[in-house]
Amino acid sequence: MSELLHVSNVTAGYGDGPAILDGAELTVEPGKVHCIIGPNGAGKSTLLKAICGMLKVRKGDVLYRGESLKGLRPDQVLRKGICFVPQERALFPKMTVRENMRMGGFSLPDTSNLEKRIDEIEERFPILKERRDQHAGTMSGGQQQTLAMARTMILKPDIVMLDEPSLGLAPKIVQEMFDIMRMMAAEGITILLVEQNALMGLKNSDWGVVLDLGKTLFSGPAKDVLQDPRIQDLYLGGSKAA
Amino acid sequence: MADILQTLILGLALGGVFALMGSGLSLVFGVMRIVNLAHPVMIIAGAYVAYWGFKLYGIDPLVMLPVAIVILAVIGILLYKLVFEREARSAKYSEMTVLLTFAVAMIVEGALGGLFTNTQRVTSPAYATDAIFIGDVFIPTGQLYAGILSLVIIAGLALFLKYSRFGYAIRATTQNREAAELLGVNVSMVALVSFAIGIGLAGAAGSLVSFVFSFFPAKHWEWIAVLMSLVVLGGMGSLLGTVVASFLLSVIAAFVGTYIGATWSTMTFFLALFLILLVRPQGLFGEKPELA
Ligand SMILES: Nc1ncnc2c1ncn2[C@@H]1O[C@H](COP(=O)(O)OP(=O)(O)O)[C@@H](O)[C@H]1O
Ligand SMILES: [Mg+2]
Repeated sequence: MSELLHVSNVTAGYGDGPAILDGAELTVEPGKVHCIIGPNGAGKSTLLKAICGMLKVRKGDVLYRGESLKGLRPDQVLRKGICFVPQERALFPKMTVRENMRMGGFSLPDTSNLEKRIDEIEERFPILKERRDQHAGTMSGGQQQTLAMARTMILKPDIVMLDEPSLGLAPKIVQEMFDIMRMMAAEGITILLVEQNALMGLKNSDWGVVLDLGKTLFSGPAKDVLQDPRIQDLYLGGSKAA
Repeated sequence: MADILQTLILGLALGGVFALMGSGLSLVFGVMRIVNLAHPVMIIAGAYVAYWGFKLYGIDPLVMLPVAIVILAVIGILLYKLVFEREARSAKYSEMTVLLTFAVAMIVEGALGGLFTNTQRVTSPAYATDAIFIGDVFIPTGQLYAGILSLVIIAGLALFLKYSRFGYAIRATTQNREAAELLGVNVSMVALVSFAIGIGLAGAAGSLVSFVFSFFPAKHWEWIAVLMSLVVLGGMGSLLGTVVASFLLSVIAAFVGTYIGATWSTMTFFLALFLILLVRPQGLFGEKPELA
């Protein structure tokens, strides 16, 4: 089994505070959609922050293509090809949509093709083309999430980590976000998704990982995780849910 | 009628200068979340650069302006490195910097007083006492030059922020620091450069102020409230807001000065600051303050 990213037995926390993650395990395979589920406060967001360099990995290791990411800053992790879209979506509310897209290419060493690349992406997301001169902060939640996801594609990343793209969105819009995510995956981008909405998340993923109290409990093919009785009871609201 | 027009023109001319005085403060607040209480004393320092350039060598304050920018920007870099760089990583940063900038303001005031005494100074190039007449109204030439040049500098700053790569980085950091960092912006470098630009702008403002107002080291205390009212009304961190607020308050202060009395003119700014904080703390162009 080839693996792109491997998180082994990671301990991490905020500042000098207690360890929030303790024993987090994760294997990410190229081209697949991975979904981390778990109750509120389980440490899902913390895990993504530890991977992208926003939080220090205290123990254990994060290996990317066999190379440790420990101690790297977020911009260094980004330059290795791992994009992170945090829960808050990381947009600049008073910049236009187009300017937000340009910021997505800020880390490129050569920006001579940036405008062309943004044009290509706008073609695929008509709403972003239509709203290009509008301030990002004035768009709806779904449009903002679309912008945040589309913006990662400027860098042609290997891995995109999405923290709760469904947060605060109407069910119909949520499916649109998952469709965009699947489209990114179809282009060969490996996805690491965090979802509070376990059912929706797993249904749109290949692989499922269950995290609780900062520890990986269980992982497997998404449909197996969906069927697993432990998961059914804990996070999917009983056996009727699936 | 001529009185009203005259008052309006005097208000507008000073509005430009106030806008430049406030713009550096606004920029530094936007990027670093520092309310730099030492900003006005830096303007005084810039005024002394222009004053001595003229007094000792007869150099026009408009020519001294770029010199003042460079000198003050360098002071800004040193100050950032010595005082703010360590603080920038601390969570209690905002509260700490209020005290720190207050201390810096006192120290610089003391140093300026020690070096140049507390005598009132004003740079006096020929145009400073000249005026242009259009019919019944007059425009003091010094104020006109200072106002126009202020707007030119602010326009340059706005273009830099809007179009340059570094301008994008500054705006991104102002609006969402964490997101900027995630996208590869070196936010410490942005903070350093913004601080240097902000203090450099104080130097520019100082050169112009030096022939518009008389000044002495302790004068900055009066300006703190004036500048605070401008950036608070404009919406902390919004450059456009600062400019609009400057013209608005400056014109109001001019009318208060003409029709109520000169001593009440400055009170306009203090009263405005008080009212804005009560009624609309986010200012004209600012975000609603987060209560979380
Ligand atoms: N910035 C922070 N500082 C301190 N503790 C935090 C911070 N963010 C989250 N936590 C704590 O970490 C734990 C896990 O949070 P998080 O990773 O956000 O959970 P999840 O994303 O799974 O809902 C929670 O107990 C939360 O209180
Ligand atoms: Mg979370």
